[in-house]
This record gives sequence, structure tokens and C-alpha cells, in this order.
Amino acid sequence: MSTVDPQQPATSYPAGGPSGPRASFGRRLVAYLLDSIIVGIVYGIAYAISKPIGGVVSILVGLIYFSYFDGSARGQTIGKMALGIRVIDFRGGGPIGFGRGFIRWLGRILSSIPCFLGYLWALWDKEKQGWHDKIATTVVVPVSDYPITKS
Amino acid sequence: MPAAEAIRFDGSELRLTGAALIAGGAALQLSPVHVPILCPLRALTGIPCPLCGMTTSVEATVRLDLESAVAANPAGVLLVAAAIAVLVLRPSVIRLPALILYAALAAMWVYELYRFSVL
Repeated sequence: MSTVDPQQPATSYPAGGPSGPRASFGRRLVAYLLDSIIVGIVYGIAYAISKPIGGVVSILVGLIYFSYFDGSARGQTIGKMALGIRVIDFRGGGPIGFGRGFIRWLGRILSSIPCFLGYLWALWDKEKQGWHDKIATTVVVPVSDYPITKS
Repeated sequence: MPAAEAIRFDGSELRLTGAALIAGGAALQLSPVHVPILCPLRALTGIPCPLCGMTTSVEATVRLDLESAVAANPAGVLLVAAAIAVLVLRPSVIRLPALILYAALAAMWVYELYRFSVL
């Protein structure tokens, strides 16, 4: 006689598909656009204030923005908050922290080098991972399926 | 994803982003200096990505300087036009064939590679 573990989710996902619900490419693209607008504005202000170090500030704004927000407990940049999606650890499902958020930001640079191929990868990847997701071992998921838990 | 398959966009999410785009372009007008965006990719490798010049282009389009906008990246003009269309027409859903995204990125990349004399 088999015992049923009540902790085990009843839902099973089809073989060959993603191992759970994943954020749609359209949502991720719009979130990226929103984040780009926000980073552009913040950078514009930072540049106007500190013109001599403008170049350094340019890189730092994006670095801190993406590392901090993607690595936060919510796993959400402002764009992701607006679109109801979040970044989680692929294996454990929890937040990834600033360090891996930074690795993911570095991965974004790599993803964008060959005409954004690393971003487009999410269109056909089984787990809908871009290269930056693979490098940081993350997936982007809908908040509706993976609610933000207070720990 | 096969090229013919469509990427789905929610109309209300696009309206929010379209409004943010135009507001962002307008906000940059307030800057007393032209803000040169030094992107990490170009700083590190010298190679522009397809989106290079988009901030300049959107900012120039919003103040109707289409010549500067096209010179920086023609896609910025189209993006602002798309933002206005989404805000005015209020579609509930937009389905964009992936092929159009691939073609647009490729065209933008070639334009930018030429602009920076990489090609």
C-alpha cells in the first residue's frame, strides 16, 4: 500500500516541458523595456549631477539596479513588479541574493553581445532561460504561480 | 520558438510602458547637457548592440527632432510611434510574430554596426 505525502504538490508537469510555470517572453520583454526606461532616467539625473564621472555612473546604475532588485527577497526589478513576474533560484526556488544578482547582470552583457541571442534564448529554451539565467541558475516565473513569501 | 509563432503582449501593460517611454523621453529634455549613455557592452568590447542609440533616439523623437533620432537609431522613432498607437488605439492584446522581432533586431544591429564602423 502506498502512502500519499500531503506536502507533495499534486500537480505534475508534462515531460519535455518546463518543470513549472514560466513567465511569458512578452511580459519579460515589457519588463525589460520598463527597467531600461527607469535606468535611463536615473542615469540621466546621475550624469547631470556628476558629469566628470558620468561614464562610471552609467555602468554602476545598471549594475546596482539589476543586482539589487533581481537579488532582493522579492526577486523583482520595478519592471518585473509591474508585470507580475520574478526571478527565483532554479533549484531551491528562493531569492538569489545580490551576489548572484550581480552574476546575472554580468550574464546580461554576455546575452546581448550576439544580437541579443542570449535573451532570445528564452523563446525556445525548455525552462525559458536566457543565458543570464543559465549562468546565474535562475528562472523567471509568474508571481501568481510563485507568490512572494515573507521569510 | 518557431519564427511564425507569436509573442503575446497585454494591452494594459503596453500602455503603462508606452506612457513611461514618452514620459522618460520628455524627462530627458530637462537635462542641461546631452547625456551620453555609456553602455557596459560597448565600454568593454567596443561593439554596439542593436539597442545602441535608443535613448538618444527616443529623446530626440519626443522633441520632434527626427533627423537626430534616425541618425542614432531609427527604431526609436518607431518605438515612440508604437507607444502613441497603443495609448490611442487601446488594443487589449497584441500578438507579434517572433520573426518580426528577429528581423527588427537584425536590422537594428546592422545599422548600429555600420554607424560605429564595425562593419
